[in-house]
Amino acid sequence: MVFTSLNFLLFFPLLAIVYYITPGKFRWITLLVASYFFYINIKPAFALLVSGVTLSTYIFTRLIDKAGTESGKKTLMVINIVLILLPLFFFKYFAVINNGILSLLDSYKVRWPLPEIKLLLPVGISFYTFMAIGYTVDVSNEEIKSEKNIGIVALFLSFFPLILSGPIERANNMLPQFKKQINIDFALITQGVKLMLWGYFMKLVVADRIGIYVDAVYGNIGQHNGTSLVLASMLYSIQLYADFGGYSLIAIGTAKILGIDVMQNFKRPFFATSMSEFWRRWHISLISWLTDYVYTPLSFTFRRFNIWGIVFAIMITFLISGIWHGAGLTFIIWGLIQGSFLSIEALTNKRRTLFQTKHNLNKRIWYIVLSCIVTFVLFSASMVFGRAKDLNDALMVYSKIFSGIIHIPYRDGYTMLYSFIGFTILMLKEFRDEYYPDHFLLFENKNVIIRWLSYYAVIFMILYFGVFGQEKFIYFQY
Amino acid sequence: MDEKSIMPELEQVFRKVFNNESLIISREMSANDVDGWNSLNHMILVSEVEKAFSIRLKLKDLNKMHNVGDMIDIILSKL
Repeated sequence: MVFTSLNFLLFFPLLAIVYYITPGKFRWITLLVASYFFYINIKPAFALLVSGVTLSTYIFTRLIDKAGTESGKKTLMVINIVLILLPLFFFKYFAVINNGILSLLDSYKVRWPLPEIKLLLPVGISFYTFMAIGYTVDVSNEEIKSEKNIGIVALFLSFFPLILSGPIERANNMLPQFKKQINIDFALITQGVKLMLWGYFMKLVVADRIGIYVDAVYGNIGQHNGTSLVLASMLYSIQLYADFGGYSLIAIGTAKILGIDVMQNFKRPFFATSMSEFWRRWHISLISWLTDYVYTPLSFTFRRFNIWGIVFAIMITFLISGIWHGAGLTFIIWGLIQGSFLSIEALTNKRRTLFQTKHNLNKRIWYIVLSCIVTFVLFSASMVFGRAKDLNDALMVYSKIFSGIIHIPYRDGYTMLYSFIGFTILMLKEFRDEYYPDHFLLFENKNVIIRWLSYYAVIFMILYFGVFGQEKFIYFQY
Repeated sequence: MDEKSIMPELEQVFRKVFNNESLIISREMSANDVDGWNSLNHMILVSEVEKAFSIRLKLKDLNKMHNVGDMIDIILSKL
């Protein structure tokens, strides 16, 4: 069941009613049953994997709590992390590695006795595995106590708003919320509905419309010129933001309606003035997870190497981020490019800050606008590796872009016009939120007429400009 | 050693790391209050604190440092 499916629009209101009718202390059971129903609805076998990860994590976190020594805790932590990473590696990387070896041997005319493997990636596995690892590490570091009720742990790892693509939540935020008595709060429900509505706008009006253009160009790179590829690559960054940002808002809104507070996943990334700022605004739940469980321990271990220890930690962190996204070479390169951007910024940090302060650049509009554009272009350029289907395609995109000839880009008037309208509305809202958060209010306006008019306007745009029938989000593949 | 005796030295470390000669630290001060106190400079700060007080911190200590006050308590516990 996907957020944009009709099934979900029937399932969710019904669930919300049953949830609030259920007596307070049993509500978690309603949520747990609903979450498994939601996930089984995608593919029943996938539920076995999440329950396996849950069982292992439950047993080991309980054991960690009981272990007397620090080394005992660490050993149990490592065993659980290895165990729960096995299914992720098997489904996500085994086939790619196996097929890679096969084709390598094939090119040297050596035959391999194993058949080529094609496995269906269990959607959400990368997300709930990371949540389970985070929980295990937190228990091992004695930052939280292990949860005694296996049902609560099962709900944490299968909570339906988050299971498909996050946000990658933390146990210390979620477990207490599932356990406490939640009273119906209409203000929260209204906020949740507004978040969902805007999420649907981002996904159906902006992302899926732009996606038509991007798919047309990237689906047939050989037939398109460099200018079309520049345009499609820039548009892909916007599509990805609107798709994943939209998904995240629907997830956060859904949870909010159920009285559960979930962390923000995007914070207007296209207003970032540097790549390091960009990564504090983009897929925040993944980056903060990587910061806490990979970057901090690594940079701490290598701190005596000063800035070079930090650079090493940044590179490894983004390499893992790349591998997390996919097993192919393109994602490894993508991760290393992000790591290089951030390393360069880290190495020049002091000098840049001094220069900016000396010339008061951070207060100059032209400098801010230019920095936002450069950041956006750098990110879009790196995303060629995220969008192209393999390394050959990615290299072909670059060679066409850098051919030095400006062509007339591929035109699809209707798609481009609707994409432009959707994107402009999205950016106007983001601009307001970034620089004038208390002005020009629409959804939050005190005047009931303006408020309702804006709801209807967004619903109208979704119905009139929205692209229906896709029922998939880009991040389901990760 | 007590809090009063380590404050001037700790302040010097902060001034050096954040390149701000007029920076005055307080127990309640956290990353949000100091320009440039990000995850990058945090590790440099930790490393400089270790050097200045000749102590060795653990990753666990780092997780407990939410503000300058926490940092002072951890330093004092190591001296």
